[in-house]
Amino acid sequence: MSDALPAVETAAPAPARRGRFTVRALVRRRAAVIGSTGLVLIAGLAVFAPWVAPHDPAAQDLGNILAPPFWDSAGSWEHPLGTDALGRDTASRLIHGARNSLMISFAAMLIGSLLGLAAGIVSGFFGGRVDTVTMRLGEIQLAFPFILLAIAILGVIPGRTPLHLILVLGIPGWIVYARVVRSRVLAERERDHVRAAAALGASRSRQLFRYVLPSVWQVVPVIAMLDIGFLVIMESMLSFLGLGLPPRFPSWGAMLAEGRRNMVISPWLSILPGLAIMLTVLSVNLTADGLADVFDPKLRKGTFRRTVLRLPERAEPDTANDDGAAVRRAAAPPQRSVGAGARHAPAASGAALLRVRDLKVEFPLPGRTIRAVRGVSFDLGHGETLGIVGESGSGKSVTALSIGQLLDSPGRVTGGQILFDGQDLTRISDRAMAALRGRRIAMIFQNPTASLSPVFSIGFQMREAIRRQGRLHRDEASRIAHDSLWAVGIGDPDRVLGQYPFQLSGGMNQRVMIAMAMAARPNLLIADEPTTALDVTTQAQILERLRDLVQAEGTSLIFITHDIALVAEHADRVVVMYAGQICESGPTEQVISEPRHPYTRALLESVPRPDLPAGVRLEAIPGELPDPARIPDGCPFAPRCPHVMDVCRTVNPDQFPVAPDHRAACHLWSPDRTKAGTP
Amino acid sequence: MIVRLALRLAQMLFVILAVVTIAFFVLRIAAGDPARLVNPPGTPEEIITQTRRRLGTDQPLLGQYVTFLGNLVRGDLGTTFRGSLPVRDAVLAALPNTLALAGLAVLAAAGIALLLGALAAWRPNGSLDRTVLGYAALAQATPAFWLGLVLVMFFSLQLRWFPAIDMTGPRSFVLPVVTLAVTLSPILVRTVRQSFIETQGEDFFRAARARGLGEVRLFTVHALKMASLPVITLIGLQLGFLLAGAVVVEAIFNWPGIGKLILDALGSRDFPMIQGGVLVAAIAFVVLNFVVDLLYRLLDPRVRVGAS
Repeated sequence: MSDALPAVETAAPAPARRGRFTVRALVRRRAAVIGSTGLVLIAGLAVFAPWVAPHDPAAQDLGNILAPPFWDSAGSWEHPLGTDALGRDTASRLIHGARNSLMISFAAMLIGSLLGLAAGIVSGFFGGRVDTVTMRLGEIQLAFPFILLAIAILGVIPGRTPLHLILVLGIPGWIVYARVVRSRVLAERERDHVRAAAALGASRSRQLFRYVLPSVWQVVPVIAMLDIGFLVIMESMLSFLGLGLPPRFPSWGAMLAEGRRNMVISPWLSILPGLAIMLTVLSVNLTADGLADVFDPKLRKGTFRRTVLRLPERAEPDTANDDGAAVRRAAAPPQRSVGAGARHAPAASGAALLRVRDLKVEFPLPGRTIRAVRGVSFDLGHGETLGIVGESGSGKSVTALSIGQLLDSPGRVTGGQILFDGQDLTRISDRAMAALRGRRIAMIFQNPTASLSPVFSIGFQMREAIRRQGRLHRDEASRIAHDSLWAVGIGDPDRVLGQYPFQLSGGMNQRVMIAMAMAARPNLLIADEPTTALDVTTQAQILERLRDLVQAEGTSLIFITHDIALVAEHADRVVVMYAGQICESGPTEQVISEPRHPYTRALLESVPRPDLPAGVRLEAIPGELPDPARIPDGCPFAPRCPHVMDVCRTVNPDQFPVAPDHRAACHLWSPDRTKAGTP
Repeated sequence: MIVRLALRLAQMLFVILAVVTIAFFVLRIAAGDPARLVNPPGTPEEIITQTRRRLGTDQPLLGQYVTFLGNLVRGDLGTTFRGSLPVRDAVLAALPNTLALAGLAVLAAAGIALLLGALAAWRPNGSLDRTVLGYAALAQATPAFWLGLVLVMFFSLQLRWFPAIDMTGPRSFVLPVVTLAVTLSPILVRTVRQSFIETQGEDFFRAARARGLGEVRLFTVHALKMASLPVITLIGLQLGFLLAGAVVVEAIFNWPGIGKLILDALGSRDFPMIQGGVLVAAIAFVVLNFVVDLLYRLLDPRVRVGAS
């Protein structure tokens, strides 16, 4: 499926980094702004606690204990958040609690991060035994209930001080930093410019400080932020258990533990410190998320979302004048002589199984829209094999996925019709579409091993697919699975049924995929580059088997490939696609022997042929596919075309008939070519 | 297979031994002379010396360690300083209570994660997704001890639905389990969501959809099994966090488990009890890690079959 999303992958890898302006980015950024604002406020309170706090946090007022907060009718602004059991001001204690909590967490974070940074750099940069020992130590620590030990240590130390707390909280964190830093250093060390510097004789310390460290710095702030959030919770937890800060330091955890005793009379004494912890940790985490977004923007993969077209259905799809681009053709039942190399185009009669009319598919991306398919029309008769050929990014796979209604978001069909047996697949309900899939329309894909779930056995997946088609008993499904595997040339179906995709070769997996697809005896099979990932011998065997099966069953086949030689061998008709359009279509024999479109010619000239004398250079097509987001006016092939004319740069050619049932989208074949001038 | 299992067992034993050793020495060094801690301040020296002899702490530290290990191998964890009860009995009585609490909490957390994660991944960036991510952010910022208190205030004191403290019956499990599960859940929720989203982009998911499988089947069978793998890994990684959470929750709900036992022992400076508690918790931790590994092997054929 490498070119299912051609444009996203090939056309614009670089600008995606900065120009990503999506709802998600906006929400995330807003969250990050809120988070960092909150963090600055809390940190400000913490730093300026002695000046900001309305009272001395330790000052007791036994005449005014458990005073309610200001919103209570009995509350007063003297103690806005009330007082505790000793008459101390809650607001002031919360503010000083922030100071202590953040100071402890920050200091612990510094210790952990410095230790981890040092260990990670040494481990990654020097490698060898140092690396092994360091990482083993880390593993042992992680396989070790350190928190329990920390609790025990803090519990028994006589005369606990904040320093003890900082050390016990900080030291175990080293491994988190060390692991990330180490892998970053390892990756950086292998980068070309660092290797080049080493080759040029840069000293180790220069390599380290000049080249490796600057990149490593980027990962530390994110981990440090998340670490602080974790440490704030751990500090308050230990204080809550009475194992944290000594009582003379106000701490959120200790306040909670004290407030708990008066839970019934003064619930706010317990609730407020918890809210303070939550707000702090939330701010820290949102900031960390924002930092991570800045330092490490990840591209997200699309997910499936089918869009049902709401456009009014057109009256008669087969009137051949849909934008003047429709291919007028009807198809006939198969008339193939089995084993014959050459294919005969079926004579026109009866209705087509599939009619695609002016299909348009777009991928709206932030800032631009990729028009992957731009008005494609073709017919497929019962039992006929249609080859769709084109380069990666030509829109052939997107066309196939549109027929199966399997486009990943943001891709969507934006116009046209896909008439399968009279139903427009772009407009039927999800349920109706799901009922067609597998049962009447089957698909096989380019990467067979990835097309099977790695965590279920072949047998499970086959039975699942088969039972879904006919509500069969398990044993019956097993029998069908067995027979289908046999039919695709697998000699020991029972063994294969018990195996997993990763245990089989790509060729075997593709046989399994074909068996699965054909087990339901579909009317239409779409094979999207079914053998591209396989070696040539396997490819030939599998295509032959596939051909025999579809012929025996009378299945219509859409065979998508970049290899025009395979199309010549296997297809009755061929559609050549370029930049989301059809540039030539017709009976295979005729298109191959008399290609009319310069692109088809170029494709044919780039195929190695046994009849050519050795030493003859194959022609490569100069230039590249146009950027699918900025397809120029006129013919998309014009920039690469050896016969380009003025008109080609301004007017996109229609499908001009060049022979019976054979069309080419090229101005060379325009009826009013005389007006346009000769090449 | 047998060699790997043996290696694995050896590794487990090594970690347990390391915990025991570190706990033994660190506690001794950090705490000072147990004989003085047991007796009230100002006790005459003769009595202190007597106590030392009784506790065996008059021996050199290394000798004490060897004795301790020897007893350990025989399953003897010593007797408590106060009351001279066998530590083993106390610890073994507390262990099932902690395991029940932690086990139910893990199950509940995994359930929450699979449900919320799948809902969020159904339409990434949708309102449901943002709600779930908001829950995860809040839950991650919520300390267990506070959540426990708030739940008690509301559901026990206000509504009187569940008991506030003590292990008294099935209903008494609800609040502690919920407290622990909610604090465990945020990372799991995010992971499940991520896994579901990734799975939806996989070739095999599209191929399964092309085979005509319905959305419900795709999500509840195919995506779910893929998502369960990282969840199991994460549960293994979070066992330490779970242990800490259990200590806190036991403290809040007066739960008669290992955590409370250790905290009480810390309060009364009862060394053999602290040591025994830490030891048993460490063994449980190591064994659970092993169980998680086995479970992973069972669920992921790539690991299970690939190795044999």
